[in-house]
Amino acid sequence: MNVPISFSRTDTDEQVVLRIGGHLDAVTAPELLPTIDTLVDEKPSKVEVDLSDLDIIDSSGVAAIVALYKRIRAHGGRVSVTGARDQPLAIFKLLRMDRVFSM
Amino acid sequence: MKEVNDVGTIRLTVPGRLEYRDVAVRAVAAACRLARGAMGAGWTPSEGLDLSSDFDAKLVSAFSEIFNNIVLHSYGLRHGDIETVMWVSKDGITLQMTDSGTPFHLEEVPEPALDTLPDHGLGIHIAKSFIDELSYEPGPPNVWRLTKYAIPASEQASAAAASHAESDA
Repeated sequence: MNVPISFSRTDTDEQVVLRIGGHLDAVTAPELLPTIDTLVDEKPSKVEVDLSDLDIIDSSGVAAIVALYKRIRAHGGRVSVTGARDQPLAIFKLLRMDRVFSM
Repeated sequence: MKEVNDVGTIRLTVPGRLEYRDVAVRAVAAACRLARGAMGAGWTPSEGLDLSSDFDAKLVSAFSEIFNNIVLHSYGLRHGDIETVMWVSKDGITLQMTDSGTPFHLEEVPEPALDTLPDHGLGIHIAKSFIDELSYEPGPPNVWRLTKYAIPASEQASAAAASHAESDA
C-alpha cells in the first residue's frame, strides 16, 4: 500500500535532522517507528524534527513525536520541532506542545 | 442544521478501516473548500490536501479524529461501515457520522493532562476544541454530529450581545 508519508534523516556534526513530510497519522505513523527506534538507540545529543513538508497530523502522529521526544530526553538529548505550518501547527498549539518543542 | 443558503449535501460511505481514512478526509477537505466558496472566499480546486485555511484545518482535524475513534475503538477488529453526511452551506458545515460499532459514553472520556505531555487520549479533546457544536448519540447505530460555523460561535454570541445592548440604549 502506498502511504502518503515521506521521511529522511540528515546527520551533521551538531545534530540529527529528521524530516517528515506528507501525512503523519494513524495510518502512516507505524511506518516511522523503525527509523525512530534506530535514532533513539544511537543516543543523539540533539535532534531536530523538521515538519516543513508535513500537510496533516493527527493524535497518532503527535503521539509518535511525543514518544520520540521523551525517549531522546531520557538519554539526556534535546529535541526541537521546526517548520510546522497550517493544520499541524494548529494541533501543536492546541495541545500546548509548541512551547515544549520550542516551535 | 439550517437549510437556508444550502450549497448541497454530500454523502460518503466507506468501510470502517484506516486505509479508507484518506479518502474520507479528502472528501471533507473538498467540502470545506465548497463552503468557503459559498462564504465568498471563492473556490479553487486543490490537487493536494490543502489545509492552509483555519476553518478547513480544524474541521478536517476533528473529523479525522472521530474517524480514527470509530475505526479503532468502536469497531476494533470488527467489520462495519462509516457513513458520513455533509451539509454544506455558506454558514458552515455539519458532518453526521454513523457507525454500527460498540457505543461508549462520551461524557466519561477524561480531558488530557496537557501539562504532562500526554501521548494518548488526545483525539476527542482535539475534536471538541476545534468544533462549534459536537454531539454523540450512542446506539448502535452510533451517531456523531460535528458543526463548524463560518463565524465562530463565540463571535456570534458577542455580536448578538452587542446588538442587544445597542437596542437597549
